[in-house]
Amino acid sequence: MKALSLENLLKKDDRVAVSNVTGRESMKVSVVSQLYCGNIVGGWALGKSGQTISIPGAQDIEVFGQFEDLINALPEDRKPNKIIVYSPPDAVYGDVKEVVEHGKPYVETIFVITEHVSVEVTAKLKRLCDIEGIDIVGCNTLGTINVHDAVRVGAVGGETPAETFKPGSACIISNSGNMVNTIASYLRSAGLGISHGISTGKDILILTPLRDLLELAQRDDRTKMMVLYVEPGGTYEQEALQWLQEQETAKPLLVYVAGSFADSMDISLGHAGAVVEGNVTSAAAKMALFDDYFAQPVFEVGEQKELTSRLAETRKGIRVNTLHDLVPAAATLMAAMEIERDFIPKSPLSLKPWIVGLGEFAQRLPPELVPHVGPIDEPYGSLIKQHVKSGLGRTPARQNMRNASHASSNDGITPRVFGYSLVRQMEEHSFVEAMLLSWLGFPVQEAFESKLVEMCLIASLTNGPGTISALGAKLSAAAGNDPNTAMMTTLGTIGTIHGGNGRKAAKMLIDVFEGSELTDPYSRENAPDLDELVRRHVVKFKKTKRAAKEAGMEYAKIPCLGHPVFNTERVNYDPRERALTAYMDRQELYNVFFDFYHRLARELLNQQATTKVHAVNVDAAITCVLMGIAWPLLVDNKISVQRAADLPFLTFALGRVAGGASEYLDHRESGTAMDMRIPVSECRFLGRRQD
Amino acid sequence: MNVKIGELSFLEQLAGRFKIPVPDFVVEPVAQSVVRTKLDQWESGIVKPDVLIGKRGKAGVIRTVTDYHIAVRMLKQVAATEVSEQQPRTAYMVQAVPADLEVFSAITYNSRLCGPSLTLSLSGGVDIEAVADSEKETVSVQIFRGLNAYQASEALTKLGLEGQVNAKLARCLVSQWDMFISTGMFSCEINPWRVTRSGEVYACDFKASFDENNRKARDLGIQWPEYPSDESTFEEEMRAWSAASYRGQAHVSELGGRKILPMLFGGGASTIIVETLAQLGGDPIFLSDFGGNPPYERMKTTAAICFKHCLQRAALLLILGGKANNTQIDVTFAAIADALQEWSDENGPVSIPVVIGRGGPGLVQGFAYMKKTLDNIGMPYVFFGPDTPITMVAAYATELAEYSLEAKGGDGP
Repeated sequence: MKALSLENLLKKDDRVAVSNVTGRESMKVSVVSQLYCGNIVGGWALGKSGQTISIPGAQDIEVFGQFEDLINALPEDRKPNKIIVYSPPDAVYGDVKEVVEHGKPYVETIFVITEHVSVEVTAKLKRLCDIEGIDIVGCNTLGTINVHDAVRVGAVGGETPAETFKPGSACIISNSGNMVNTIASYLRSAGLGISHGISTGKDILILTPLRDLLELAQRDDRTKMMVLYVEPGGTYEQEALQWLQEQETAKPLLVYVAGSFADSMDISLGHAGAVVEGNVTSAAAKMALFDDYFAQPVFEVGEQKELTSRLAETRKGIRVNTLHDLVPAAATLMAAMEIERDFIPKSPLSLKPWIVGLGEFAQRLPPELVPHVGPIDEPYGSLIKQHVKSGLGRTPARQNMRNASHASSNDGITPRVFGYSLVRQMEEHSFVEAMLLSWLGFPVQEAFESKLVEMCLIASLTNGPGTISALGAKLSAAAGNDPNTAMMTTLGTIGTIHGGNGRKAAKMLIDVFEGSELTDPYSRENAPDLDELVRRHVVKFKKTKRAAKEAGMEYAKIPCLGHPVFNTERVNYDPRERALTAYMDRQELYNVFFDFYHRLARELLNQQATTKVHAVNVDAAITCVLMGIAWPLLVDNKISVQRAADLPFLTFALGRVAGGASEYLDHRESGTAMDMRIPVSECRFLGRRQD
Repeated sequence: MNVKIGELSFLEQLAGRFKIPVPDFVVEPVAQSVVRTKLDQWESGIVKPDVLIGKRGKAGVIRTVTDYHIAVRMLKQVAATEVSEQQPRTAYMVQAVPADLEVFSAITYNSRLCGPSLTLSLSGGVDIEAVADSEKETVSVQIFRGLNAYQASEALTKLGLEGQVNAKLARCLVSQWDMFISTGMFSCEINPWRVTRSGEVYACDFKASFDENNRKARDLGIQWPEYPSDESTFEEEMRAWSAASYRGQAHVSELGGRKILPMLFGGGASTIIVETLAQLGGDPIFLSDFGGNPPYERMKTTAAICFKHCLQRAALLLILGGKANNTQIDVTFAAIADALQEWSDENGPVSIPVVIGRGGPGLVQGFAYMKKTLDNIGMPYVFFGPDTPITMVAAYATELAEYSLEAKGGDGP
C-alpha cells in the first residue's frame, strides 16, 4: 500500500473529488459530507458540466463533465488526492482508469462505493491501481471516517456523523458499512471512542485486505485497539493473523464473527462476498482462527474478573459471540491493557423503548417484558412528541415527486383526479365536488357539504372594493397588467392576516378537538362536552394573555373572531356567517365546530376576556365548514393535519381570486390610467432631509 | 444469484465455441438407432444425469454402458432418478475415454491474490478439497494479460508433466482461460481432463458459475437451462422481484423457522440479527436484507410478498435494522405499513405483536406512520430507536414471540 498509516487513508485537508456527483445517492451523501467537513473540491458527471451543487452553509460543489476537466481546472492546492467513485457498475472501470491516467501525480486513494461491480472489473481495478501506486478501497465500501480530524469520505455516519462518532482510541474495521456506525454507538457505552472507522466492503475481492489495514492501524498513534466485524468468505483473516503472529508486539483486537448460522446451509448472506467456499472460509473456521490466535475462549459475560488477568498476559484480544457483548468485552480488554477510557459513558447499553402500545397483549406477558418509555435523547424526544403522540391525521411518506403525483394522472386516454375520471366528474358532478375531490383525494360524503363549500366560495368573492385583495386587482388594472397578473396580485395581497386566518382557526379546532374522541362532526348527540371544552379554552387563553401582557409581549389572539366592520353591537354577527348558519338551520344540519365557535364568542364575554360578543367571522365560518368535511378523514388517518389546515385558506383564496378578476375587469373598463396612484400631496415623509 | 452450469451445457454450448476437446455425446430423448450407432463407434459410453450436484459418481447415478439396450433403459432411468433430492433435467451419454492420466484444473478469482488464479492437480476426478496442498499447483493469472501457454506449461511441469502431453494440456488450459474470461465466469472447473494413451486430451466433466454482475455473462446470448431448484415459491417470487431492479435490496433465504417474520435492513445487520434470533430460539422464518434505500413502490411490493407467504404463520413481526446511512426510514416504513394494511384488509385482522428497531433519516416520521397503521389494524407493538442495540431488540423479540405463539395456540414459553 502507498499509505503508511491510517491517517494516510484520510486526514484533515485532504481534497476529495466525487464521480457521478449528481446521482441520487452521491449528491445526498456529498451534501452531508460537505456540511460535516467541507473536504469535497469538486465532482464530475457526464453531460452535467457547468452545474453547481449549492449547499447553504458550506462550500458549493462544482460539477465537471469529466475527471480530466476537473483536474485541469482546479488550482494546484485544490487538486484532489482522494476520489470517491459513485459511478454505475458498468462505468466504474472507465472512471477509475480516467482518474489513474489524469490524476496520477495527485491521487493517493480511490474509494469505490459502487455495488454490483463485476469480479473481473474489480480485479482489473486492483491491478491498474497497483501499477500506478494508488491505494484502492472497495468495491462496495461505505467509505471511511477519521474521527479525530472530523473528516469522512462516503456515507459513514449517515446524516449525523458527529452524533455517532466521538473521538477515541478504537479503530473499527468492518465488512459491513452499517456495522461501522452500529459498533461505534455500542462502544460509547464502554467509554470508548473511535479513531478511524473503515468499511472494507464485502465483495468477493476486498481490494484493501484486513492485513494491510491492521498494518496501518499498528502505526497509528491514536489507535490503541482494533474492533473487527467479520463475515464468512475469503481468507483475509487468515492472512492478517499470520502477519500479526510474525509481529513482536501487536495492538489488541476485539472481534465479532457473524454468519455461523449459515455455515451448514446453502444460503447467501447479505453481501456478495459472504459466501462460504470450503471449510476454511466459514464463520466457524474464522471463529476458531481468532480463538487460536487469542489463546482465549470466546468472551463470556460474568467472567470478566479472571479474564482481565488472562488478557493482560496474552495481550492479543478476544472474540465475542453476541454483538452487544462488545461493550463488556471492550471494558475488560481496556482494563487488561491499561487503556484509559476516552470519556465517561453517558448511559449503559440497554433496551430503551420509544413507543409502546402492547394493549391487551401486555396482560399475557410477565412484567419484565412490558417495557416502559423513559426519557428519550434529543432531538428524538421532541420529534416524537411532535409527530407520534398525535393520533390525528396521516403522515405521508416523502419521496421524489418530480415525475410522480397522487393528485393527477393521464394515461393518454383519460385524465384522472386521484384515480377518478375527469370526464366522469364533468358529466356527473359539480365543480365544487370535483374540486373537493382534488383537494382531499376522496369524494365528499354528503351532498350538503358541496353546497356549503359553494356558499363559502361565494362569501369569499368580495367584501367591497376597499379590501386589500380588491385593491391589489385594481392596482394591477391601473398599471395596465393582463388578467392573470391581476389574479396573481389578488392572491399576492392575501396573507396570514387577510384571509389566511382560517389556517390558524383550523389548527385551533384541531388542538381543541384532538383528544375529544369526536368522530362525527355533524352529530349533535355524539358531540363532546362543548361547554367544558370552551371553558377550558378560554381559561387557557386568559392565562396566556395575562402572562404575555405582564411580559409586555404580543399574545396569540383567538383566530377569526371579530370583524373590523361588523363590530358595533354588544352581540355582533358577520352576515356571511349568518347566511351559512341559517341555511344549516333550515336543512336541520348540525356542525360541532360552528357550535363551538358561537359558544366561544359568548364565553369570552362571560369570563370577561372581551367586552362584547365578537362576530364569528366569515373565515371562521369557512373553517368550520371545511373542518366538518375534513374531520372524518383526519380521524381515519386518510389526510394529513397540514392538508386539513390549508383547506379554509384555499377556499377563501379561490373565491377571492374570482372576485379579484371582477374588480380587474371593472377597473380596466372604467378606470383611468394610473388612477390608483396616490397624489404626491397625500404622501408624507417621516424622516429628516439630509442635504 | 450467480448462474451455474454443468457438463451438458458445456458440451452443447461452450466446448465447440472455445475449441476445447470433448468426447462425443447424445442427450435423452434420443432414438434407439442413434444410441446403437454411437455405442458401435465408441465401444462404451457413460450415462449421466443433467443435474447441478457434484459427486454424482458417489451418488451412484453414473453408469458405464456397452450394450445399447441397457444404454437406452439407463438413459430413461437416470433421467427419472433424483440425485440428492434434485430431479435431473434430463440424462445424457458421453463417449467413454480410457485414460492413464487425469488432470484437475480450475480457474477462479482468488481473494488471496486479489485476481484470477489457475489451480492444477494430477489427482483428477476427486474432490479438490481432498487433495493435499503439496499436490496442487496454484498460479496467479495477470488479469490484463491472461493465461498464456508458457505459464500453463510451466505449472504443468511443476507437477511433473512434460513433453507432448504438457504442450497439449497447456493449449487446452489457455482455451479454458479464454472461455472463462470471455463469458464473464466467476469460476470454472474441468475435473478431469483425461489423457489417452495416444496423448489425446478430453475435458470429461465440467462445472462453472457466471458472475451476475459481469456484462459479458449477461450478453452471451445463450439461454441457460433452468434446473429444478429447491427454492420455495416465496424465495422464487422474491428472487424474480429482486432481479427487477437494482434500487434497494430484496433478498430472502428461507430458514425453515416458524416464529419470527424478520424484515431486516443492511447486509451486516441482517446477518447479526438472524444469528442472534437463531442462537436464542427466535426461530426466524427467513433471512432478509431489504436495505439499500428502496423507493416506496419497491419496498411495498417486497413487504407484500413477505406478508403473502409468511404473515399467517408468524407469531411476531420484527422490523429491524441499524442506523441507516442512506435508507429513508419514512419511505420504507410507509411502504411496509401500507402493505400490512392492505394484507389485513384482504385477509382479516392480524394481532401478532410487532417489534421495531431502527435509526436513520426520517425515522420519527416513519415511526409515526407505522404506529398509526398498527393502531388501525390493532396489532400490539414496541418501537426502539437507534440507542438500543439491534441484538438486544432481537433478544427481546424472541422472548415476546414465545408468548405470542402461546396466544396463537402453539407451544408457549
